[in-house]
Amino acid sequence: MKKLIIILIGLSTLCFSQKKISKSHPETNLTCKTCHSCEVPTRQDPCLNACPRASMVTVYQSAEQTKNVVTLGDISKKYEPVIFQHRIHAEMAEMSGGCATCHHYNTSGPIQPCKNCHLLNRKRDDISKPDLEAAYHRQCITCHREWSHQNSCVSCHALKNTTQTASQLKAAQTLETKTHPKLVEPKKLVFETNDKDGRLVTFYHDEHINIFGAKCINCHQQQNCSMCHDKDKVSSINSPEGMPVKIQKSKSEHHKPCFACHQNDDCSLCHQQKIAGPFNHEIRTGWALNRFHEKLSCTKCHGTTYKFVKLDNNCVSCHKDWKVGSFNHQITGLKLDENHVEVDCADCHANKDFSKTPVCTNCHDDKSFPKDRPGKLVSSVQTKTMKSVK
Amino acid sequence: MAKQNRRDFLKTAAVAGTAISGLSIKPAKAAPKNILSEDRMGVLVDTTVCIGCRNCEWACKNAHNMPTQPQDKYSDRSVFKEMRRPDENAFTVVNEYPNPQNSEIPTDVKVQCMHCDHPACVSACIVGAFSKHESGAVTWDTTRCIGCRYCMVACPFQVPAFQFDKALNPQIKKCDFCYERTKVGKLPACVEICPVEALTYGSRIDLIRIARDRIRRNPEKYVNHIFGEFEVGGTSWLYLANQDFSKLQFPKLGEKPAPGVSESIQHGIFAYFVPPVSLYALLGGLMWITKRKNESEE
Repeated sequence: MKKLIIILIGLSTLCFSQKKISKSHPETNLTCKTCHSCEVPTRQDPCLNACPRASMVTVYQSAEQTKNVVTLGDISKKYEPVIFQHRIHAEMAEMSGGCATCHHYNTSGPIQPCKNCHLLNRKRDDISKPDLEAAYHRQCITCHREWSHQNSCVSCHALKNTTQTASQLKAAQTLETKTHPKLVEPKKLVFETNDKDGRLVTFYHDEHINIFGAKCINCHQQQNCSMCHDKDKVSSINSPEGMPVKIQKSKSEHHKPCFACHQNDDCSLCHQQKIAGPFNHEIRTGWALNRFHEKLSCTKCHGTTYKFVKLDNNCVSCHKDWKVGSFNHQITGLKLDENHVEVDCADCHANKDFSKTPVCTNCHDDKSFPKDRPGKLVSSVQTKTMKSVK
Repeated sequence: MAKQNRRDFLKTAAVAGTAISGLSIKPAKAAPKNILSEDRMGVLVDTTVCIGCRNCEWACKNAHNMPTQPQDKYSDRSVFKEMRRPDENAFTVVNEYPNPQNSEIPTDVKVQCMHCDHPACVSACIVGAFSKHESGAVTWDTTRCIGCRYCMVACPFQVPAFQFDKALNPQIKKCDFCYERTKVGKLPACVEICPVEALTYGSRIDLIRIARDRIRRNPEKYVNHIFGEFEVGGTSWLYLANQDFSKLQFPKLGEKPAPGVSESIQHGIFAYFVPPVSLYALLGGLMWITKRKNESEE
């Protein structure tokens, strides 16, 4: 009997503890083995695998939802605790890698404090991941080094018990409420290059996003603050906020974001002698978009990726469902009369080629389009339609 | 068989002696294979992590009671304009090189004694002033050194430095892997102070596993080479980099232990009284030839 009670207690605690675990691990597609190396991970020994990095980070909060300031004071003996302006850094991270830039090891549950994995002691058994001091420093220094070209400790840390302490703390506090100004997306950028045959490259930023459907990350990969801000380099272009924008880059660096899609394109596509006009489907592909197609996003016809392949310009290639009864002919500017409403499309539009002039001779020997029409013109749109359909 | 006269004996001896002295190259003996314990320690230097703060330089001098500037003076980056080498006044230095992956962040490389598994300095030292310890450290004993500086010539990394400016009792100076500190369970001073843990102290086997893991997880970041894993038979200090090590001024070295060649020649020559035997054989041969010449003239 005693044994039975013990077993029952054991089972109930097991169930309870598992329930507790599932609370901190909400719905996720990951298997236990992705993160844990042992069969039964416990709080004391979670047997976590070496960090799988971005592949498993599912945490996402907008910068506004996050903590404003985080005070980091676990390590410092010599320095005051670091007042880390979390929100402004989160806002900046949104322009590059998002939360995962720093929070690289998280389940979809609550964000883990760094010290859960990165131990305080430099002398430790598990040396596969950096200690807490190194983990913090590695996160901060890469960007701060690019930005200021300095490594001095006192640029981030206020020394304890010095006159400098108070002023640094005050400066940090004034930054607490500061937010990064909203980024103004450029509409059009013109780059001047050394290319003799095509000196100017016109880049329509808005088209790439709004029409071609490119995501920020497609071009802006692994970018950080120094992409725009660099203390020592002042260029001729100034952002609206007066911050210097860096344009000095090597040839390969400058081409890199474009080449993700344009690798096989001719140089002259971008490099021209004068400032190029906005995207024009007719000039680029030889096939003008009519007033219906103009409104569509590229992905509607060219598939879901932003790398577009050439399609044939046969209407029925896309409009597979065009048939009698399902197509409202009125939108073309011609309302079919009752004799023609039921006629099959191909009887007038030979081989369902809607780009060619319709023929009447299949039924009427003495009639021809556009002299004779199988219905009534809806006048206001007539001219425009006929013009754009060649 | 018993009829071999003195002349014949000398003839044979001359030929054999020459042959032995010329051909008897045997594998190195002084390489301390016997004291290379499985869990000997090392340091993994990740040059992609190092930020060039030079705190290690300060900590090293501090730990070895050497005169030094205050710590905050070490943030001066103008020293990187010149390539520096460890010397008798600095056991470790950091040099800076261009980084092909990001021009904004140069690559910084800490240089010090590599603490070879088969150290050439230990092998070359004729009085045994150098010793390789079980912990991996290669140290130097001031009481034995006679100042011959063979170690400086032997070292493939040109690390041991001599106090040329001291007239009385000049010493050989080099990184001792903080032997006195590690003995009492402390970390080497440079490892302890590194703000980004670009230096990881641990057993050499663990470090190689960690280094391989970093390369595997970041194949685009690292070149697939752990410097020191095999170089000159392996070193206690291991390096990771994002570019070819020759661009970071690491010497190009084979996988054979550095003492191998010199030791086998040295030990081969001096084994089995070969030099005296061959010398006498040579003289005997000469005597025999001269005597025969004189006899025929008569």
